[in-house]
Amino acid sequence: MSAESNAPFAPLRAVPAGEGPRSSGLTYQQLLDTDTRTVPEVLRMESARELPVVRVPIDRYTSREFHDLEVEKVWKKTWQFACREDDIPEVGDHTLYEIADMSVLIVRGEDSLIRAFPNTCLHRGRALKDRPGRSPSLRCPFHSWEWNLDGSLKGLPCRWDFPHVKREEYGLPQYGTATWGGFVFINMDPNAEAFESFIGDLPTHFERWPLEDRYTEAHVAHLMRCNWKAAQEAFMEAYHVVSTHPQILAGIGDANSQYDVWDNFSRAITANMTPSPHLGHDPSEQEMLESIITTSLDSAPNFRVPDGMTARELFAQMARMQLQANAPSVTLLTDAELNDSFYYSLFPNMHPWGAYNKIVYRFRPNGNDPDTSIMEVIYLAPFRGKRPAPAPIHWLDYDEPWTEAPELGPLAKVFAQDTFNLPKVQRGLKSAQHTHVTFAHYQETKIRHFHTLMDQYLSR
Amino acid sequence: MKLRHPLTLDTYEVRTDGTVLVKTPDGVDGIFRDNGEWVRGALREADPHLLGFIAGPQIKRGPRAPDVPTGGGSALPPQLSRHSRSENGGNREMDLGLEGRKAIVTAGSRGIGLSIAELLADQGCDIAICARGEEALQAARANLEARGAKVCTASLDVSDGDALEAFVQTAGEELGGVDIFVSNASAGGGPGLPAWEHAFEIDVMGTVRGIGAATPFLKASDAGSVVVIGSTAALEFLGMPQAYNAMKAALISHASDMAQALAPKGIRVNVVSPGPIYFEGGNWEMIKQAMPAMYESALQQCAIGRMGTPEEVARAVVFLASPAASLITGANLVADGGFTKRTAF
Repeated sequence: MSAESNAPFAPLRAVPAGEGPRSSGLTYQQLLDTDTRTVPEVLRMESARELPVVRVPIDRYTSREFHDLEVEKVWKKTWQFACREDDIPEVGDHTLYEIADMSVLIVRGEDSLIRAFPNTCLHRGRALKDRPGRSPSLRCPFHSWEWNLDGSLKGLPCRWDFPHVKREEYGLPQYGTATWGGFVFINMDPNAEAFESFIGDLPTHFERWPLEDRYTEAHVAHLMRCNWKAAQEAFMEAYHVVSTHPQILAGIGDANSQYDVWDNFSRAITANMTPSPHLGHDPSEQEMLESIITTSLDSAPNFRVPDGMTARELFAQMARMQLQANAPSVTLLTDAELNDSFYYSLFPNMHPWGAYNKIVYRFRPNGNDPDTSIMEVIYLAPFRGKRPAPAPIHWLDYDEPWTEAPELGPLAKVFAQDTFNLPKVQRGLKSAQHTHVTFAHYQETKIRHFHTLMDQYLSR
Repeated sequence: MKLRHPLTLDTYEVRTDGTVLVKTPDGVDGIFRDNGEWVRGALREADPHLLGFIAGPQIKRGPRAPDVPTGGGSALPPQLSRHSRSENGGNREMDLGLEGRKAIVTAGSRGIGLSIAELLADQGCDIAICARGEEALQAARANLEARGAKVCTASLDVSDGDALEAFVQTAGEELGGVDIFVSNASAGGGPGLPAWEHAFEIDVMGTVRGIGAATPFLKASDAGSVVVIGSTAALEFLGMPQAYNAMKAALISHASDMAQALAPKGIRVNVVSPGPIYFEGGNWEMIKQAMPAMYESALQQCAIGRMGTPEEVARAVVFLASPAASLITGANLVADGGFTKRTAF
């Protein structure tokens, strides 16, 4: 394949934001007008692109052939979040990133640079490392071929027996690496577009909420009985809230969420402490507070909304107090940033939440099985002083409830509601006589954006 | 916990057994499990998301996130109390954390076993008991049900290992899990060689097989715990050599081993060793009549001036069995009112 064919994709065509039918509820921009602090540009932005996809074939979620295509056209081609920088803080630290049936070895070199290599010995192919760890070199356990941390061949036993092995030809092949926000990204394609061009303006969006200043407070990986795309799409819209989380309707602006897309990333903004347009009545400020507070705070206090104050103001004030110790700049943050959910998605599978909502999701296929996947929830928390060590991955089997991971706090119950549907989605897709799933024009914008990008990758 | 569905206006209320009572605004109601399965009532369908949300395993198994980072999958002590009472000037009751737990007590129809079952039921546990006599079992069942417990009973001889294992399995299935296994059955004292084999079958093998059968359930619990009833007869000479004393010694040793073996599975194992316990129909009543000199001698050795009651033993057992004792495993808690004289380092 020529280098030219891997030039960046043509950018999606921008179209005016705010066109097309919308919920009759308050718009997010109208809600921002009530904020007690100055609203930053990033929240005022609205952005739309031409997204031709309104339906996709069901075999995208169920067939092994499509999975294989995804491996070749997407996973082997695109930038993807592999680990956090603080997973490998010291020289010689290494970790593994596994995608489909491929394993990538990510190593911190003596020059402190991060490099990524296929996790395989160039002699007879054994995986060089079985698990994360720290070692002065990369030595294969099978016959002790050894590489330096920068991937250059260090040596091998019985050198005399390999006259055909030239040191300069037997360096480990290197994958592209890049970092942003404390995340390490890799790309297996030597002709990939530059990371800076791929990620676009996403770093600008996070300037107020620097993710590099967070540590991994919790990391839970849950095996799921559904395709990885079906899993992640459950976390890319608020359309499901009315059915799946009815207990929070009093305090969530679900149908009137705002959806924006740019080139390789998208976002949704769902306001809290504002009533759902689905409700047939106007809940009190206290009802709004209570509907959200039990599922979003680690310790639900018996707060009453004082007269003359809104639930939004009160919740923002409480969050400022709670966060202040570790993130002093929160005093400047808007009520919006302390109440609302800003869920970004970076193609193909990374979902960092904005503001101080600690969530980052990642979804991956489970090996080569299109019917199962791995969903990860990572909490990135602010800290003061010495950076705490990142939490190790807590694996949950298919049928283990999210509540088996107490480090997730009260949100575990909400994840349980979200993922309750997913195995049933996969079963339904397998039973389908119809050929396509279809998406809401506005509320499922992010999913349409994802599949539009997917189509671009598949077309190459 | 009670919720109202904001759209359908149905109310969802968790019942003590973990099922959910759903009522429509018209007063039609039905009872459901957290997976949406209908149990009974005129209302046949409810929102599975809300059922799972309010009655799912999180209610019993979801301790709140700690304020400090936990390091991923590290085991946390099970949560005891959902409601701090500290606003009352620091007057904080200790909650044993037994509400909604499931317990098995062997030989639970009378004496110490029944006292343990009663106290567990009073703390909110559902109970399974086995005993040889059906009549005493049924009396115990009525007694425990009156305390609000769901009760399973089985009439069997603990020396029948297959029957014991089947009982534990059935109890675990019917109660929907096992958090606590109390091995209480004993052949008691008695002279002669046949008594040794009988005591071995009931005291030792009954405990070994009982723990074995309960382990898969206890492992699934977030607060699995075993309490074995020992005896001070294993600790100090008690009048005459007999199988009972040696078997109880074997149990204390085995419980200590199992405490180590099962700790990685999150299961605690402890022993409560009662001294002389007096109750109607108990051994010491019989001894008082048949061997008054031995009774008097034992009574005089009780430093507190009296023998113990089954309820006093039960309180020790229930504490050790409860999540409140989350740090204690491999202990042999002597409850004897100062009957034994050794210094228990």
